[in-house]
Amino acid sequence: MRSIDAKVGTITASVMMAVLMFSGFALAQAEEVKSEDSPAIALLCLGPILLFSLPFVVFGIVWTIVGPIMFLYGVLFSERNMRKRMDSVVLRESASIEHFGKDPLSTLKGTNIVGGISDSGLVYASFVYSPSHWQLLIAWINQLFGGRVDVMHRVISVGRAEAKQRLREQARAAGWQDVLNVRIDTAEMTPPSNPKGTKAVEIFAYGTGIKFG
Amino acid sequence: MQHIRDGIMVVNTETIAGKVITQNLGVVGGSTVRAKHIGKDIGALFKNIGGGELRAYTELLEESRNEAIARMVADAQARGANAIVNVRFATSAVTAGASELFAYGTAVLVE
Repeated sequence: MRSIDAKVGTITASVMMAVLMFSGFALAQAEEVKSEDSPAIALLCLGPILLFSLPFVVFGIVWTIVGPIMFLYGVLFSERNMRKRMDSVVLRESASIEHFGKDPLSTLKGTNIVGGISDSGLVYASFVYSPSHWQLLIAWINQLFGGRVDVMHRVISVGRAEAKQRLREQARAAGWQDVLNVRIDTAEMTPPSNPKGTKAVEIFAYGTGIKFG
Repeated sequence: MQHIRDGIMVVNTETIAGKVITQNLGVVGGSTVRAKHIGKDIGALFKNIGGGELRAYTELLEESRNEAIARMVADAQARGANAIVNVRFATSAVTAGASELFAYGTAVLVE
């Protein structure tokens, strides 16, 4: 499906380019007879092509400048940011545990609850987290030697902790007293068709919030 | 967040505590493919190099999930159900910018 779409896109783009260029040349040829040197006409002919390529040029310039800066930022701060996020999760977690009186999340189905349940409904929370390219580089070097790839492990566990904490906060906001049957899904944001795309994981936690009867 | 959407209870447990399932109306589902505009994609591309949360994509998935659930609920309503039990989610990245979200569950009548 996707390959067909891509082909259609490519064909359309090339046809458009061809028409543009052809009309440009035709116009230039026609005008050449009347006036020998007219830069305005040449600009008119090349204008659409230039306009079309302008966004790519701008993106290229921004990419060459901002890319290395972001990489450097990753080298310096990605580990620290991760630690900060983990600290904040731990703080918020203790706040919600205080609110609920215990950790509300469980994978139980609720058959163990004695008093009965008066109300229930779905709660869910998601979190998209990406390792920095610096961390990916370290992970790649780690992979060469084999064994534990600790960087990725840390990234994923921070993501999971954050998603779980968001689920607790959602449950608290909706007024549930407990969350049953919690599932945690991890989905890669990088599609197999584009392995060079964004390297991020989406962590999605969901469960059933209940109120005790 | 609404837990009862248009009179339909949505849970991911197999039963609804305190209620009895009287009739099974089959599997219902809703799916959606959404994408952020190119500006947000480019922003995420740069953010990705530095690492951290990609907020644009968190939002995107949240919106898509709400839409998928709304469609699932509409499907259940069309069948005359009053609850959906055992809801599951599936995600697949269709292309670089877009993702498909699928929510499905069993539509039932409860009393």
